Amino acid sequence: MSAGKILEKLGGALFFSGMVCLAAWADDPKPKPENTVHVELTEPVKPQAFGRPLKFFVGEVTDRSGNAQPMLVLKPRGGIFLDRTPVEITREGLTNCLKSAGMLAADRESADFVLNVYLFHFGLSDSSGMDFFGKVEFAVMVKNAKTGKSQQIQAAGTSIAGLAVRKKNIQKNVLEDINKAFEDAVRSLLRGEKLRDAVKALDVPAETKAPPAEAAPPPAAEKPPAHRWN
Amino acid sequence: MRVMRVAMTIALLAAALPGFAKDPEHQYKTVEAKHFTKVEGLELSPEFTDYLYAELRAELTKAKLAGQVIGEGEVVDEADAPASITIEGSITEYKKGSVVKDVLIGYTAGWRSLKVETTIKRRSDQKIIVSPQIHVRASPRWKDKVLAKEAAHEIVKEIKKALKENGTGA
Repeated sequence: MSAGKILEKLGGALFFSGMVCLAAWADDPKPKPENTVHVELTEPVKPQAFGRPLKFFVGEVTDRSGNAQPMLVLKPRGGIFLDRTPVEITREGLTNCLKSAGMLAADRESADFVLNVYLFHFGLSDSSGMDFFGKVEFAVMVKNAKTGKSQQIQAAGTSIAGLAVRKKNIQKNVLEDINKAFEDAVRSLLRGEKLRDAVKALDVPAETKAPPAEAAPPPAAEKPPAHRWN
Repeated sequence: MRVMRVAMTIALLAAALPGFAKDPEHQYKTVEAKHFTKVEGLELSPEFTDYLYAELRAELTKAKLAGQVIGEGEVVDEADAPASITIEGSITEYKKGSVVKDVLIGYTAGWRSLKVETTIKRRSDQKIIVSPQIHVRASPRWKDKVLAKEAAHEIVKEIKKALKENGTGA
């Protein structure tokens, strides 16, 4: 085979791969004001009432989803993007809810409990193809700021929204879907039995923390003899 | 003639009035759907139960069975507990079907099949109100999540029917 033919074939292959790259680049949606949505709670979720007034502090919020593009919620039709990262949205949502109920501590030191959040999913998930399936899933490490003891609880929210044909309606439905799923997840955390049980288990009043030395069980020799019936 | 017209207008208005009437009071205050369990050995992904749960909640909201459809594990006020229900269920059978049979034979041969046992309990005393059994089928050429959508629709339909037959109120 002559050098000219080889060069010709190489050139053809290069042109083809260049076109493929260009097509892939062109398919990759870019965030623009018209394809960006603002997710937030429509109204703050009222947290459940506890045995005594408690203050919570939202500590670290970590994205554990492993998603390389956490702000891209829908890829087809030019894509739909979030205007903030799921971490920021979650932090703001939880803070607003606690603040509106007067349960937000000013700082870590003044809090009864610190909530460290690990986000596992935020956005749309695989559906039947007949609707949009919004899903928000996170784990929260509830830590007693005084004793340092902690317990992990799960919270998840789901929502279903109808499909649409027009891009404007798709965007509207996706936004509504994620909003609802997020609200559901926050609700599941703040009004959930798991948080109630975790707080109940971790909220040990100071006076009953450690039993005094004299209250220790007596040695075996001092135990009263077992009663014999025969 | 004029009197007739006035009478007709009044009759039409009277007929349309029920449409403007306030929605009837919901039968229950809250309804809580729980994630359905699966019997061992079923070839269903964990996402399937998540999706079924989401679809069930969406269907319950649409059906207006209760004033509020709450999330799994959400606390309910003591006062509302007697008028609240929970929906639990177990997927007892799943057949993934056969596309070959569906194409060659047709007439629903080789369709996917899902059997679900549901239990509706009163929240306050855990008394079982109804326990309908659902069986849904769908083409194997569709995604398995279509089955979840169909199942959720059937579950709510069956629950409504069973509650109506039982005449069980809050």
